[in-house]
Amino acid sequence: MYCVYCGVKLQDGAEECPLCHTAVALPLRDGPQAVKQEAWSDRVPRAEKQSGKYLAAGLVTVILAAAALSCLIFCLKSLGEAAWSGYVALGMALLWVWLVLPVLFPRWRPMIFLPLDFACLAGYLLYICAKTGGNWFLSFAFPVTALIAIVTLAGVAMMRYIVQGRLRLMSLLVIFIGLSFMLIEFFQHITFGTPMFVWSLYCVSGFCLIGLFLLVSSFVPSMRGWLRRKFFF
Amino acid sequence: MRKQWYRLDNAALIFPAVMRKNWNNVFRVSVTLRDKVDPETLSRAAEDLLARFPTIYVRLRTGFFWYYLETVNKAPKAEEDYAWPLTPMSRRKLKKCCIRILYYQNRIAVEFFHSVTDGHGGMAFLKNLTARYLTLKEDIAVPAEGEIVDPAEAPRREETRDCFQLCGAKKGISRAEENAYRLRGNPEEDSFRYIVTGIVPTEKLVEKAHEQKVTVTAWLAAVMAEAVQKRREEDPHPGRRRHIKITIPVDLRRTFGMNTMRNFSLAVNIGFDPLLGEYSHGEICRLMYHQLAAETIPQRMAGRVATNVNLQRSLLLRLVPLPLKTQAMRLVYSLSGESKGCLNISNMGTVTLPEAMVPYVERFDFVIGVQYSYPNNCSVVSWQGKTCINMIRGIRDSELERLFFSLLVEKGLPVEIESNRR
Repeated sequence: MYCVYCGVKLQDGAEECPLCHTAVALPLRDGPQAVKQEAWSDRVPRAEKQSGKYLAAGLVTVILAAAALSCLIFCLKSLGEAAWSGYVALGMALLWVWLVLPVLFPRWRPMIFLPLDFACLAGYLLYICAKTGGNWFLSFAFPVTALIAIVTLAGVAMMRYIVQGRLRLMSLLVIFIGLSFMLIEFFQHITFGTPMFVWSLYCVSGFCLIGLFLLVSSFVPSMRGWLRRKFFF
Repeated sequence: MRKQWYRLDNAALIFPAVMRKNWNNVFRVSVTLRDKVDPETLSRAAEDLLARFPTIYVRLRTGFFWYYLETVNKAPKAEEDYAWPLTPMSRRKLKKCCIRILYYQNRIAVEFFHSVTDGHGGMAFLKNLTARYLTLKEDIAVPAEGEIVDPAEAPRREETRDCFQLCGAKKGISRAEENAYRLRGNPEEDSFRYIVTGIVPTEKLVEKAHEQKVTVTAWLAAVMAEAVQKRREEDPHPGRRRHIKITIPVDLRRTFGMNTMRNFSLAVNIGFDPLLGEYSHGEICRLMYHQLAAETIPQRMAGRVATNVNLQRSLLLRLVPLPLKTQAMRLVYSLSGESKGCLNISNMGTVTLPEAMVPYVERFDFVIGVQYSYPNNCSVVSWQGKTCINMIRGIRDSELERLFFSLLVEKGLPVEIESNRR
């Protein structure tokens, strides 16, 4: 029995060609079942339980909750208010969001989890700022956290979703990281009154040199080849 | 029995690092006998070989810096085969044993996690398992000749060593090469693997290859490359990766005159750039043949081995803890490991057995699993004048198989098709 379209010989009893799916005009009676029975069993592998990761997540959750609760109870009993235990409790909550929450989902999606992580960090810093009576959150903590979040997200997006021109983008990212140190020092200056652009200049020059080298390399095939040889990707 | 442990050989290092929940690098060798397989006798045969093949009966263990293999005290029991080959071996299963012994009707199959051995080692083990099974079941005397060994003797030292450490050149050669066109399709959600087997007469296959003055492997690679090129032309979004390249695993045992039961093979990529112009069948055959011949000379192979071994020996890399090393290996593998070829063609060659076993054996099969990022693979094995070309895929679309086997028919080869369609 041959397939009229592909020209290959088919198994006796085949209902259609497995290559082009052209139906066989006169299949043998009881054909398909017989063929399947003969060649392969009906046994389907059982899906494995993924209990390990949930067990670990549960264990970490219990440890974090125990630490937070014991501190809160201690402070409420001895001082009559949350006091320093608030930092511990929220710190544990922050750790839970960072470490445990992603485990509860089947796939780690950076574009969802990373902004959430940084938002929680900003919230935690806001709580500390409010508790200590400081005024550094809006002018320093928030912009610096946002800056680090942007750089991290850009780096992750580049590595995961961009295939072409990665070296060029990486060089620009390195330069941006260098320049962001100046921004951090600027926020430090307006918040705490420290002198402008002292330590950040060293960072900027170092990062910009590396970034420019990568940028030039991305345009020069021989340098790109050398980088590929040395770092093979 | 005292537990022994082995470092992973150089080729095996990558496989535990890159494995996923629903995918890992496994392959399968199987033999179809003339009579129904008795599972109890098969389990006994497997148990009898436990001491003789310590590097095969192993489980995967995790160290601080590297993974390693540890011998198991009991051979895995023979279990009924699944509805499709090469179901993934989970980490939990690998912690128990890295091989699976399966039976279904007349067929005995062994599936290996690739860190244990390569196709050659796997086939040698299957031959010995079959020999022991036939000895127990049919009461025949199988002489210890060729790859059949005496199960009572101790394993030879050369069988358990990592030969990659012995044959590297003084200097490594670059691994840089162009990325290849990536085959795509809609994956099956439950990791179902379609297996389409084309059976062709070996004599006619050899004749066709010799007409073009090339080897069978080069000829099959050329036909496959033509099929992939046609597939690329049909693809509405072929992407920028245009090179049509076929990955050929090369057994290094013959190249370096060494024998081991562990991994000792390297893959080479051969192909062409379709944008340079149109190629005739003869031109593709010659191109494949000469590239394969040039890439597989011992000097180049030694250079490639040296590149891999030097990296493994780097003090900096050795001192990095395993979780970090695993992430780094994953990154490198996703960026470069699977992007250099469109698919594999692994040709086992012609299987030989002692005369006493021949009347009991009907057929051999060899199947390599699909890679993580490309959905098709092909493996070839010949026995008693018939060549089984097994094409496996993890996607629904069978267009590549259709193109490949139709091309074989067009070139005058009679092809008989079997499949496990659901």
